[in-house]
Amino acid sequence: MLHRSFKTASKLLLIASFLFLCGCENNFTGVLNPKGVVAFKERQLLFDCIALMLIVVIPVIIMSFAFAFRYRQSHPVKDYKPNWSHSVLLESIWWGVPCVIILILGILTWKMTHKLDPYRPIDGAGKPMKVQVVALPWKWLFIYPEQNIATVNTLVLPVNKQTEFFLTSDNVPMSAFFVPQIGSQIYTMAGMRTRLHLLPTSEGIYEGLNSQYNGDGFSEMHFKVKVVSQDEMKKWFAKAKRSSKSLSQATYRVVRQPTIADPAALYSGVAPGLFKQIIKSYHAPTHP
Amino acid sequence: MSSVAVAHHEHHHDTDSIDVFGFWLYILTDCILFASLFATYVVLHHPGAYGPDLKEHISLNYVLVETFALLASNFTFGLAIISMKKNKVQMPLFWLVLTFIFGAIFVGMEVTEFVNLIEEGYSYTTSGAASAFFTLVGTHGLHVSFGLLWILTMIIQIPMFGINQTIKRRMVYLGLFWNFLDIVWIFLFSIVYLMGAM
Amino acid sequence: MLQELIFGKLTLDAIPWDVPIVMGVGVVVALGALGVLGYITYARKWGYLWTDWITTIDHKKLGIMYMILAGVMLLRGFSDAVMMRAQQAIAAGSNMGYLPPEHYDQIFSAHGVIMIFFVAMPFMFGLMNMVIPLQIGARDVAYPYLNNFSFWMTFVGAMLINISLFVGKFAATGWLAYPPLSETYFSPGVGVDYYVWGLQIAGVGTLLAGVNFIATIMKMRCPGMTLMKMPIFVWSVLCAMILVALSFPILTVTLALLELDRMMGMHFFTQFAGGNMMMYINLIWAWGHPEVYILVLPAFGIFSEVAATFSHKKLFGYTTMVWAIAIITVLSFIVWVHHFFTMGSGGNVNSFFGIATMIIAIPTGVKVFNWLFTMYKGRINFATPMLWVTAFFTTFAIGGMTGVLMAIPPVDFQTHNSLFLIAHFHNVIIGGVLFGYFAGLIYWWPKAFGFTLDEKSGKWAFGFWVTGFYVAFMPLYVLGLNGAMRRLSHYDNLTWQPYFIVAAIGSALIFVGVCFQIWQIFISIKNRAALRDKTGDPWNGRTLEWTMSSPAPDYNFAFTPTVKDIDQFWLDKENAKEIGPIHPDKLEYNDIHMPKNTSVGFWIAMFSGLFGFAMVWHMWIPAAVGFIGMIGSVIVRTFDKDTDYYIKADVVKKTELAHFKEAIS
Repeated sequence: MLHRSFKTASKLLLIASFLFLCGCENNFTGVLNPKGVVAFKERQLLFDCIALMLIVVIPVIIMSFAFAFRYRQSHPVKDYKPNWSHSVLLESIWWGVPCVIILILGILTWKMTHKLDPYRPIDGAGKPMKVQVVALPWKWLFIYPEQNIATVNTLVLPVNKQTEFFLTSDNVPMSAFFVPQIGSQIYTMAGMRTRLHLLPTSEGIYEGLNSQYNGDGFSEMHFKVKVVSQDEMKKWFAKAKRSSKSLSQATYRVVRQPTIADPAALYSGVAPGLFKQIIKSYHAPTHP
Repeated sequence: MSSVAVAHHEHHHDTDSIDVFGFWLYILTDCILFASLFATYVVLHHPGAYGPDLKEHISLNYVLVETFALLASNFTFGLAIISMKKNKVQMPLFWLVLTFIFGAIFVGMEVTEFVNLIEEGYSYTTSGAASAFFTLVGTHGLHVSFGLLWILTMIIQIPMFGINQTIKRRMVYLGLFWNFLDIVWIFLFSIVYLMGAM
Repeated sequence: MLQELIFGKLTLDAIPWDVPIVMGVGVVVALGALGVLGYITYARKWGYLWTDWITTIDHKKLGIMYMILAGVMLLRGFSDAVMMRAQQAIAAGSNMGYLPPEHYDQIFSAHGVIMIFFVAMPFMFGLMNMVIPLQIGARDVAYPYLNNFSFWMTFVGAMLINISLFVGKFAATGWLAYPPLSETYFSPGVGVDYYVWGLQIAGVGTLLAGVNFIATIMKMRCPGMTLMKMPIFVWSVLCAMILVALSFPILTVTLALLELDRMMGMHFFTQFAGGNMMMYINLIWAWGHPEVYILVLPAFGIFSEVAATFSHKKLFGYTTMVWAIAIITVLSFIVWVHHFFTMGSGGNVNSFFGIATMIIAIPTGVKVFNWLFTMYKGRINFATPMLWVTAFFTTFAIGGMTGVLMAIPPVDFQTHNSLFLIAHFHNVIIGGVLFGYFAGLIYWWPKAFGFTLDEKSGKWAFGFWVTGFYVAFMPLYVLGLNGAMRRLSHYDNLTWQPYFIVAAIGSALIFVGVCFQIWQIFISIKNRAALRDKTGDPWNGRTLEWTMSSPAPDYNFAFTPTVKDIDQFWLDKENAKEIGPIHPDKLEYNDIHMPKNTSVGFWIAMFSGLFGFAMVWHMWIPAAVGFIGMIGSVIVRTFDKDTDYYIKADVVKKTELAHFKEAIS
């Protein structure tokens, strides 16, 4: 009976791994198919650490089955040692080996955590372009302060150029900005500002999303990230500047109202200091 | 089994020392409760925190009188414990009543302080910092109030039961609790009032 | 005015008449409850129920009551899980599924709260109550009356959560109710209030139970049982209960502050007026991370006991096991930030907490090797408890590995809040905690009820559970790495759907496993005569709980035992092979001093329940009644002097003789 259920288990596992593998890399929509420097390094780190830990994990799994099989009651082996319960050598090995692995992992972690700190500019990537991000219920507002334009639910980024994000949220509980294929995620909190650096490395359209549950519209709070060449970026800026809508204070008051699955929008001209003003508005006795 | 007990009869347990140990554990958990509240208070009182400053609303002299009332109640409670040794009811009862009066003065003064603060515009809804102040001080006040209720119960039970083992044990717990509240108040006084006034 | 003071915000509209699923469940629950109550009345069992169960302070009966509570709540929490899996399997692309977000959100919140607080916790306390006093050679816990009270508080907390299904709403905030989402501005309804009051009431019960068991273990061990001679389960429970005592007050404060924000308009965690919601996240995880170890340490203890017993071999490396538990206990308090690396703390803070987290993997890994080498050169009897242990190794190895991965901040920046996280913690909580508790339940079942559980159906249940577990959760790892987040009620990416469908099939397999477990219990009760544990030692056990009859007599031990070794009973059996057991006729029995049952704990808990419910709905008069009732019951109890009695020596002798005769037959 047990045999049979194990068989079904292995069959299903086989199907699962098939599903996993047959979707070759391009079908992956997350870190397994990285399109940015940060995501690429994170995938590398993920694989390295898995490899390191398998040194312990695989023997454990093998031993658990081997010992269970060999020392089962019905199996006629003679070496039954009911009182053998201590061995300095063995115990030193299994305190020692994990210690060494964790030491290596620890050093790796220390190094990579500093290197991939979202607040830190990416090494040797030049001066970043700035984008201000505001999480709204339930949509994303992106302000390009240097170009004085803004978008809702669409983010356009230049390829091979670093972008620095300044993030906050307004009129919505804590959310998190995340483009899995390009890099790290970071929380957005009202009245506070967080920062994030990303550097996409290939052109294309990627999925950006909110990873932190924040109410009814959470599931629909995602956006398209278009990574384009530097030339196209300039063209897009020019096009955006021609947009008939502008993000005035009055428009913003409408935009910040709760809606679900809003279409993308483009604004030329942003009320001056809007991002700072949003953060400051929470320094007040009531909810803004 | 390997052995046979020789006691006259078998107990489910030997109560007194176990019970006091348990009460210490309870005090420990209460310590953590207050520690969390202190932490909250400190976090919300960072320099430049939103809202009016507590400094302009408190009177150290008033709080000092409050402090002395609480300390005095602790002293009279100590006398109540000592006077129990004679196994007579009157003196412990007298000291307990005095303890109750001092404790009640403390709670009364605190409530008055709160009411005044709120009237002056420093209310618990004013700011995060104010919420933390009222909650921390108020939680201590609530503890003292429960202590008062307990003292009242003892004032009824001592004449009813006389000075027996149970009463003595309960007085030990009450003493631990009452002392503990004093110590918490010392921290409160130093961190909230003294440092707040500076 | 008066109506408002009595009923507060509560009106008939609070009942979700328009939601057919809830109403259907409500009708079924109501009919079930009526059926049970009717049967009790018909069979005239009310008196028996009151004197033998509701007011009992016998730790063994309380253990059973805890486990019944956990079992019932498991069914509730599991139904939530199945509904979520079904929704996610179909809600792709243009299909929005059958649950609108506001229902789906309540379901995943309730699922988390119920599984942690009202399944895992009562299950753990049930096993502890059942076993700890027996393992340390005690007649009862340190505070039997408090023990009864703790149970009823947990029960009332669970009932408040259940009531929220039918009256009003439950929180739609996730299981930890992060502000500002849980603040009045974003969640104006009663859902979060149900959450807070339910957990506060249950939390008080848990905290006091923790204190109770620390005192029991520290003060009531039988002569000769030094700390380093305690069975390893006792050690794990001691450490878990120390964690309870140190961490639950933090939970109490955190939830109280949240409720002050909601009820009194304070500003602890609001985004405006100087509140700081990051403080809530820090506080809740300062409790929440130790909570994980509160659940898993006792499971580790069970694995140790089961592995040693069924391998017929001493536990390997007892001393290192104890140290490993102690190190985990200490470390569990300095890792909480790993739950929110993405908040934007700097590299130093993140790597400190990341590395601290990884260090926990060392003692945990040591424990795994010790278990493996307990099996090595043993003679393993693969009864169901041991099967669960064997399955645990692989699930836990995978879960542990993914846990360490998420402890690396840059990896967490990719996996945080994704289904990878969900897969990881189900991997350790199901594969570690629940498998352990199942092993413990089957292992100690005969001691609780006097008969063993049916093995065949148990093995089927095991097969379906383990298979279902892998099928349900392995796809989530892939989904997480593909950018699928937790708590999605709908998604547009159609490449995810096959994985979600596989996961749903997995939950169906687990459902079959659960059905087999219910069948197992049913068939075992039916065949209890054939499955009767006559000797009181069905597994060839090693520790004191197997020295007495099954089920254990009221007084546990006729004589207080003395121990010289960790596996005292094993040693006694080895030594007694020549002499044989001592006939009770040859022994001189004494009267045994025992505490009397009391209904005070029950009443305080009921008043707390009234108080909690009234506070949820702002019903001020009932709230006052509940509050005064609580305090009043305590004070009334202090006037009660008639709290104990004696079990006479001849009664003890008769009981022991009956067991002796059955055992040698």
